[in-house]
Amino acid sequence: MKGTALNFQKLIEEHKGILLKVARTYCQNEEDRVDLIQEMSIQIWRSLDKYKEHCKISTWMYRVALNVAISFYRKNAKRNENTGPLNEELFQITEPDNKEKEGQLVLLECFIQELNDLDKALMLLYLEDKSYFEISEILGISPSNVGTKISRIKGKLKISFSLLKL
Amino acid sequence: MKESELKQYWAAANEKLEMSLQISKINTDELNQLKVYHFISEMKAIKLFTLICGISWVGIGSAILSRIFIYQYTYANKFFLFSASIQIALTAIAVIVYLYQIITIYSVDITEPVLKTQEKLSRLRSSTLWIARILLLQLPVWTTFYWNESMLENGSLLLWIIQTLVTLFFTFAALWLFFNIKIENRDKKWFRLIFEGKEWTPLMRAMELSQQIKEYTIEEER
Repeated sequence: MKGTALNFQKLIEEHKGILLKVARTYCQNEEDRVDLIQEMSIQIWRSLDKYKEHCKISTWMYRVALNVAISFYRKNAKRNENTGPLNEELFQITEPDNKEKEGQLVLLECFIQELNDLDKALMLLYLEDKSYFEISEILGISPSNVGTKISRIKGKLKISFSLLKL
Repeated sequence: MKESELKQYWAAANEKLEMSLQISKINTDELNQLKVYHFISEMKAIKLFTLICGISWVGIGSAILSRIFIYQYTYANKFFLFSASIQIALTAIAVIVYLYQIITIYSVDITEPVLKTQEKLSRLRSSTLWIARILLLQLPVWTTFYWNESMLENGSLLLWIIQTLVTLFFTFAALWLFFNIKIENRDKKWFRLIFEGKEWTPLMRAMELSQQIKEYTIEEER
């Protein structure tokens, strides 16, 4: 049991980025985000014995995190609606003189928030530079379907960005 | 903007976030004891409770009705007997749907691919619509169970006109709702009016997700 607990701590520490990114994609409210990360951690802890080594641990963690986040998002949709689409802290990552990039990131965030739950997951994995094969393993669709969906989302993204420039 | 730039910004934003939102050291002993408010465990508790109530209702009701059918049929009020039988039969069907839901809840595995798990969860939540349809189908029998022979013999014409209109109205409403409460109508005003409120939100969301899953699956089959 102690060994498992240590593995779990290590796992969470090493892959906390996954939990943070998923939480960021599905929750705009910081309070919700913290709750979601806690719930994802609990579900990972409870599902550890189901992990099979034939898939990468990051793939497995993305599955659990996204499954929890999509359901959690539904549960807390009301609260999210009330908090507005954006959180300022996410955009204070660039220098003040880099306004254009900052604006583009704001637009990207807005764009992601407009997507439906499944497209959000796809966009997140795409931005994380995951291969089509890994995305297909996480989502449970074929790599060619991943490609089709991503190019469609990218098309929409292009339109959004070009509208901004007008 | 180039794709690579986009990914760079995303990564940079994540780094910032990672710094601002630290995960505190998790005590696994506490995790074991923690009673989490989780979507699956929450559903399990509510549905198990409803199932127990439903089984008790159907069990006790069936026992009473079968006794009447066997030993007192000749003297029994037929309106009550048949109305109650229809009510119990429909509740029994709803209980079966509940049972299916509980079995599905136990088979949900959140470590499986997202679409597979969400499809299961979505189907599970949407099946609640079936329960609503079946239970609403009982409406007319609640307007007939109290009829009796004395009412037939001594009731005024006005009473029977009102009674017939009420029963016809509830029959029509029950049948109409039975055939029209379906996912395709989720955006209609009357549908949203019936399924408004916090307790129905997961159902409405599940239906939206179900549509998204369908779009993904259609692409898969091409």
